[in-house]
Amino acid sequence: MDLLPTEEQEEIVATVRAQLERDFDLHQLAAHDGSASVVDRDLWRRCAELGWFGLGLTEALGGVGYTLAEEALLFEQLGAHATPGPFLATVLGARLAALSGHAELTSSILDGSAIVALAEPHGDAEATAGEHVQGTFRVTDHGDADLVLVMAGDDASLVDADHVTAEPIRSLDQLVPIAVGTLSGPPVRCHLEGAASLWQRATVLVAAELAGIARATAEQSTQYAKDREQFGQPIGAFQAVKHRCADMAVRAEAATTLVRYAALAVLDGLPDASFHAHSARAVAANAAVTNAHTNVQNHGGIGFTWEHTAHRYVTRAQVRSRTLGDVRSHLAELLEQPAP
Amino acid sequence: MNLDLTAEEQAFREEARTWLRENLPTEPRPPEGREMREFDLAWQRTLYEGGWAGINWPVEYGGRGLTDIQQMIWYEEFAKADPPFTLNNSCTFVGNLHGGPTLIACGDEEQKARHLPRILRGEEVWCQGFSEPGAGSDLASLTTRGVIDGDELVVTGQKTWTSYAHVADFQELLVRTNPSAPKHKGITWVICDMRSPGIEVREIRTMSHVTDFCEVFYDEVRIPLSNVVGGIDNGWRTAMSTLSFERGTAFMADQVELAATVERLIEEARVRTGPDGRRPVIADEEMARRLATARAEVAALRSMTIAGISRNARTGMPGPEGSMIRLFHGELHQRVYQLALDVIGADALRLTPVDGEGVWTGPYLQSFAYTIGGGTTDIQRNIVGERVLGLPRA
Repeated sequence: MDLLPTEEQEEIVATVRAQLERDFDLHQLAAHDGSASVVDRDLWRRCAELGWFGLGLTEALGGVGYTLAEEALLFEQLGAHATPGPFLATVLGARLAALSGHAELTSSILDGSAIVALAEPHGDAEATAGEHVQGTFRVTDHGDADLVLVMAGDDASLVDADHVTAEPIRSLDQLVPIAVGTLSGPPVRCHLEGAASLWQRATVLVAAELAGIARATAEQSTQYAKDREQFGQPIGAFQAVKHRCADMAVRAEAATTLVRYAALAVLDGLPDASFHAHSARAVAANAAVTNAHTNVQNHGGIGFTWEHTAHRYVTRAQVRSRTLGDVRSHLAELLEQPAP
Repeated sequence: MNLDLTAEEQAFREEARTWLRENLPTEPRPPEGREMREFDLAWQRTLYEGGWAGINWPVEYGGRGLTDIQQMIWYEEFAKADPPFTLNNSCTFVGNLHGGPTLIACGDEEQKARHLPRILRGEEVWCQGFSEPGAGSDLASLTTRGVIDGDELVVTGQKTWTSYAHVADFQELLVRTNPSAPKHKGITWVICDMRSPGIEVREIRTMSHVTDFCEVFYDEVRIPLSNVVGGIDNGWRTAMSTLSFERGTAFMADQVELAATVERLIEEARVRTGPDGRRPVIADEEMARRLATARAEVAALRSMTIAGISRNARTGMPGPEGSMIRLFHGELHQRVYQLALDVIGADALRLTPVDGEGVWTGPYLQSFAYTIGGGTTDIQRNIVGERVLGLPRA
């Protein structure tokens, strides 16, 4: 039993981090604020070449052959850099296509040529996916997408984006384009019914992204507390600030370690995998939102500006904690699980 | 990163489960006095004879030399076995988890040989003499004097918050041997025989009605210099090794037990009638959400504990990260028992002991200790801020 990344996993993380710092700088990405699509297709293909979309897919299915553990580390980094784009729908969509035996569709997602948006029920408890897609959906990253991954109930489907009409809303997170539309039986490219394992993975990956937000905001605050001086000393010397930073670090540690545990539990197919996935989702969402809030406070006036990245984490934490369920729904599911 | 248990670890879990089923006492732990001491020592002897004492102590000192993961497995099996007492509520705690590990890390061979086997066999009770009325969070400002006189240390002063001093045989005692040195540099860690002339112990009643909290007065108590551990004036370093054990793995049992407590509480919430007088507690949406949150948070506590063990396994020493776990655990522990009082409704008005079957209010009152003992949460936050995050000192 060991919850620290191996050397090989650390290398994956370092590669991902370097790429995100170079190509996904939040100040550069601000040019996309409010756009219907935030995806640069060349950049997307480069991510594909690095194997990010099939990281946890077996080589037999066209993937890289790592596991959910490495995928979770990737999503932790995506969260830490508040990286916009349909990474989640792409990774899950590729898996859905591969598991349902659509090799060509799988490779078009894995090589970055087909961009996948995510649709989930939008205030519609009756919405369905699977063979028959029906209901009112919220579509994330709809703008330039080629495919839409629809997830509802226990089921999942891939449909062509051409068949999905949705009206953009003014999004809380300006780098996460959201549109709302009603679907009534569009042609389905492929689907899985009773896609519990896909849902479990989705739960872990969103939790990982949220844990990354919790970690990055803790680090941003700590760095600022060392650099910023008032009353003749770094503000981190004051207990009021130091203790907030300590609490942020603890929340980030709780979220990160639990997400890693959950990823491994799902990977190993343990009986308490769902227990840990839902737990991770709830703990990581609370950590991400609380840390993102505290991070703004720690930065004072500069933290309230558009130019600073602190607000990016606030809105991203709010959006992701409402992606594929929210804290309330995951806690309800957690309570239904047997004791571990 | 993996959750695999080795075949040996799996066999260990089975072995622990079977042994506990057959050997766990069923009678309640006496709440105080000699009966309590005898009960705790008898359990320690039973553990020793069964091969469950000093699980992660080195073999050369009578331990089993097993891993921290196995230690955690043992605690998990203990908590799952429905014990009539909590593991760390014992006068054997300091010997097993403070004094013993400190001797292993810093003691000389004679000190180790004299005490370690007796601690494991349940023949010696230890207590801690660190805090003083004027030295709490600022421990290094302690003023209890130790004056060298020939081959003895003559100790005069006062210690406080000393659990089990009234039933202890030995004490890990911090005294000031060099008043003119900087405050961290003039302290000595010494083994004090609690039957020495000049020692007076007074019991202090706590808010949870427990009386094993004590203050200890020293009036020219003579301690052989051969009892000094880690060298004269080097006691701060010795004490820090004890404290890093305390903040690292000593509270693992409490952390593991809290998970079992939350599951028991969820069971209570399923069978008890809730605030509306009709449906079970768990049907109330707010209660359900708080219970589920507690479940998620103890899962996080456990994963933090495992990550801490992984870190220790790589560095060989508990690091300052242990303070993160202590901090998270202390506050979570209190939230869980606050929640428990809300779950049990009017039964929250009935005082129970801190230990035993179906008790909630006693442990609730006791839970306040978890954010104070072993360094308050404010001190833990300072440690996390300064030693983990590298923030400047004030």
